[in-house]
Order: sequence, then structure tokens, then C-alpha cells
Amino acid sequence: MQDASRAFVLDSEAAHPTTMNDTSRSANAETPGAPETDEQLMEAVSRGSSDAFTVLFQRYKQPLFGFFRRRVTDPSLAEELTQESFLAVLRASSRYKASALFRTYLYAIGYKILRTHRRKAAFRATFLGAQPGPHEPTVESGIAAELAIRQAVGRLTHLDREVLMLREFEEMSYLEISQLLGLPLNTVRTRLYRARTALRGLLAAPAPQLNSGQAVSPEELP
Amino acid sequence: MNTTAHSVAPEMVMAFLDGELSINNAKAVSAHLDACQECSALAEQFRATSKSLSRWTVAEARFKLEDFVNDGAAKPAPKAKPAKPGRYILVNFWNWRLWAIGGGGALAAILILAVVIFSISSYERRVDSRPMAAMMHDESADASHYASTRAEGGLNPAPPPPSPSAVAGISGMDSLAAPTPPAPGQRDSVKGGAPPETTAPMIARTVSLTVVVKDFAAARASLDNILARHRGYAAQLTVSTPENAPRTFQASLRVPAPELAAAIDDLRALGRVENESQSGEEVGQQHADLVQRLKTARDTEERFRAILQQRTGKLEDVLQVEEEIARVRGEIEGMEAEQKALEHRVDFATVELQLSEMFSAQLGTPSNSVSNQMHNAFVNGLHNAFASLLGIVLFFVEYGPALLIWLAILGAPIFFIWRRYRRMRAKV
Repeated sequence: MQDASRAFVLDSEAAHPTTMNDTSRSANAETPGAPETDEQLMEAVSRGSSDAFTVLFQRYKQPLFGFFRRRVTDPSLAEELTQESFLAVLRASSRYKASALFRTYLYAIGYKILRTHRRKAAFRATFLGAQPGPHEPTVESGIAAELAIRQAVGRLTHLDREVLMLREFEEMSYLEISQLLGLPLNTVRTRLYRARTALRGLLAAPAPQLNSGQAVSPEELP
Repeated sequence: MNTTAHSVAPEMVMAFLDGELSINNAKAVSAHLDACQECSALAEQFRATSKSLSRWTVAEARFKLEDFVNDGAAKPAPKAKPAKPGRYILVNFWNWRLWAIGGGGALAAILILAVVIFSISSYERRVDSRPMAAMMHDESADASHYASTRAEGGLNPAPPPPSPSAVAGISGMDSLAAPTPPAPGQRDSVKGGAPPETTAPMIARTVSLTVVVKDFAAARASLDNILARHRGYAAQLTVSTPENAPRTFQASLRVPAPELAAAIDDLRALGRVENESQSGEEVGQQHADLVQRLKTARDTEERFRAILQQRTGKLEDVLQVEEEIARVRGEIEGMEAEQKALEHRVDFATVELQLSEMFSAQLGTPSNSVSNQMHNAFVNGLHNAFASLLGIVLFFVEYGPALLIWLAILGAPIFFIWRRYRRMRAKV
């Protein structure tokens, strides 16, 4: 299944909320007869409803997997981190308070787990000589254009890349990104502009040629 | 795009496309985009970039909720989750980095431990150097005395007797080894070589007394009378008369031991006793040891003299015997002086007296004006600042090279490890 819901065009100023208090981006509106919102489902989870958690899992399994999959090279590791994030949500459900969008809450947990994974992996690589997990072969994607995009994104600086990906793929508002990464709002905007400008230049430049079946080096992947 | 030629910045165009602008700003940017082809092209480029990113797709996640929730929910805490071998515990014991880092760390720890142990031992040597030197001096003196005794030939080949304190440690030998200290009146008989037979303890008494008096001058006069009445004397006197502060009088008095109690009573009567302490040191063992050593030295001297009178030999031998007699005589006189001082400490108790005046502060102009005190404080402050600065400089001059060496030894590996960690962090 393609992650088509995350592919969008920066076109509409009305389609996206501008603040975290705007719940219109929650999966469902609070209309009579309509399915419950994410926050309502999470409160039900905090009361012990397994059905509500199942619904949340179905809604966010693929977006959260995409979040990890674009940031780690090993698909099974991305699955594992996704599962770990949902488990963390489940374990912390009794302490959940609907002070923010569930979506932001979930990605904040995922981002912390990702940082922890990166820290542990860097520690292992530094002190134990352990190498990162197996890289996904390029033939798996099968699309040269996609590979070029991944390489171009991988050449951005770490923070610029993170801001860009949170905006483009996770559809986060500037405010959500600033809260998640702990950056000022203007810094988020500046970095996003810089990342997009740099990415435009990288995509316009000819991509380095790779042999078929050659693994992508970690430096070239996000 | 030149921002000065446009009413909106490129970032505003981007924010407009992201829907992050307020309604008024969005209207303004929208109007500008309609009018400005350059900004419109920029917006189109943003759209194209985002559209190209949409080609980065992710395959569908294959796992299901049932795959992990049941197992995961049953676990008490995330930390209790066992790590998967091969991913989280990927330790290769033949990896050179592991051994290099471990070996380097162990080497650094051993070096630090060695430095610490060496520093402590050298410090202890410095602290103990004086007592050790004194002990070695005493031991060498005893050894030379013993050697000279042996060299005399046929005098007394046995080693010198152990000290009474050493023998006293053996159970059942106390009465044999520790001679009873003589009474003050009977000590003269010891000089003749007879062993002491009395059992009276020899105690050197010390009294410390602090008295606050109203009339300082009268108290001093009374003190002279007390000393005369009890046949004591003042070994040391210090009088302090600071301005706008109570006067103090410190004296180290010597009072005959039998008169001590009466003298203390008289001293207490001078004013209000603020502090009083008494102590006694038993010096009987010390005195007995000294007497025994003195007796041995006298015997040795007598033997030397007998040799000098009875035997004939070369002039060189005669001179050598006379030198030995002179040396032993010197030791005897030293020990006699020490014995007298010890007996004097027993015969005359020490009274450390401090008289303080009962002081009432007087209102009046201080001798030092405020400006003068400020000036002095400022000068002292400058001195303190300079001294502290100099101390810091001296510290770094003295220990700077060592610190630099250790910084290089320990800092370089830490720096390389940190750099490698950062590099790995960026890769992951």
C-alpha cells in the first residue's frame, strides 16, 4: 500500500490547521453518529477500552510506520520501533490527558523512541564496533526517482531534514514541529525554507550513479 | 529572489502555501502572487518540490496488533523487555575497538591509581620525616653506646636491657621491669646508683585557669602576693592592653606541687572563674627509664676510668679511651639535666593563668576614623586580591605542566571517542 495520504501538494491554506488546538485534523469530526475523534478514543483507552485502542492502531499504524521507515534503513527495525511506540502509548494510557492532539502526542513518543534508538546505535557503533543493521537494497524500491529523492533528503543537515520530513510526510504544523523538536517557531520556518531550497537544488543536480543492487550507504540515507 | 523588490518574503510565500499565515497575511500574499510572476514561479517551485517528495513511498506495514500487544502488554515495564540478540546485544569480543577502549581505560585507571598511591606515600614520607629522623638519631645513639660498650672488651657483651615500657608489656613482668618511681625526697639516692624503692607516683600537674576580674591592676598585685605566699614564680608573662577592648594578662606560673591546691583557691578568688581545667601526666615510667639509662652510663664511665688506670697500652689506645670517657660524660650530663627537668615538672605544677578585664565599651570617637578604616580595608582588599591572584598563578605554574600532561593523556581518547560517537550518531 502506498503512503498516498501523506503525499500532498502545498496548495491549500484551508486544508490544514494552524494551531494545535484546531482539532479539525483529527481523524474524525465530533459530529453525531460519526466515529469518535482520536482524543475521545484515547480517553476510552485510558479507561481500559481495547476496541478504542484497536481503532487508534488501525488509524496510525501506517503513518507511524512511515515515520520510522523513512528514518531508519532496516524495515524490520521500523516495524519494531512502531510497535514499541504503540506499546508505550498503551502503557502510558492511564496517565493520558487530552491537552494536545493525540496525533502530536503519538509522534512525540515516536520521536523519543527514535532518538533513544539512535543514541544506543551510536553508542554500540562507537564502543562495540557494531555496525548498523542491514540496509535495504535499492532494488526493493525499484524507482530511480525515489532513490534520488532519498539521497537528496539524506544530504540535508540533520535538523533541516527532520523539519522538512515532519512537515512534508507527517503534515505537522509549524507549531507542532517547534514543540516536538524544541525549537522556536521562526527557526522552524527558516529551517524549513532552507531545507526546501536546498532540496530543490539537490533534486535539480544530477544524482550520483549507483550500480543495480548496490546498498545505499548510511550517509546517503536519512 | 530579491526581497527588497517584493512586498512579501520568500518564507512568507512558503508559509502561505503551508497554510500557516493569518487570513489578512494570506490575502496579501495571494494578491501578490497574482501580480508577481517571480513569486508565482517560486510558489510553483515549492509545489514541485513537495510533489516530488510525494514519490517517496513506504511499503505497507506487515505486522498486526495481535502480534505484539498481547505480549507487550503482559510485560510490566519497557525496561523489562529482553533485548533481542543480534540487534541490541551485538558484542564482538574480537573487535579491536573493544579491546583498545577497554585496555586504554584500564591503563588510564592504573596510571591514575599509581599517581594517587605515589602522592599519598610521598606525602606520608614528608609528614613522618621528622619523627623518623629523631628516632633514627636515638637508635644510632643507643647503638653507638652499645657498640662502644662491646668494643671495650670483656666489659658487658650482652645487649642493653630493654626499656621498662617494653618489658612491662609482658604479662607478669611488671614488678621486675618497671622500677617504681622515687619520691621527691628520695630521688637523690638514685644518683648514687641505688635502685629506687618507693612506690609514690610521679605526676606532673597542669592547671589552666581563666578568670575575669573587675580591677585589673589590683588583680595583678594580688597575683604577685599569691606567688610569694606559695613560693611560686612566673615563668612567662604576657600583658595585652588593646584600645577599646578588655585588657588581658596571660601567665605561665610554677607553683610547688604541695601548694597547688591552696594557690588555685587564691587565684579563683581574684574574680569570676570563666574556665578551669586540670590534668596530670604520669611520668614515673619515663623517670625510671631515665634513671636506668643514667645508671648504665655511669657504670660504663667507671669501667672506662678503671681501664685507663689499670691497663697500659699505646698512646693511641689511651686517647681513644679518654674520648669515650668524654662522650659518656656528655651523655650523663644530658640525662642528668633531663632528669632534673622532669623532677622539676613533678615538684612544681604548671598553672596557665589568663586574667581578663571585665570590660565596658565606652562611647567616644574611635582613634581610627571611618575614612581611615575604609582606606585600610581597601588596601587590605587589594592585598588579598593580589595574594589570591598570585596564588592561582603559582598553582598553575606549579601544577600546570602536570595538568597538561594528564589532560593530553586522558583528554585525547575522550575527544576521539566523542568525535566518533557524534559521527556514528549522524550516520544512524
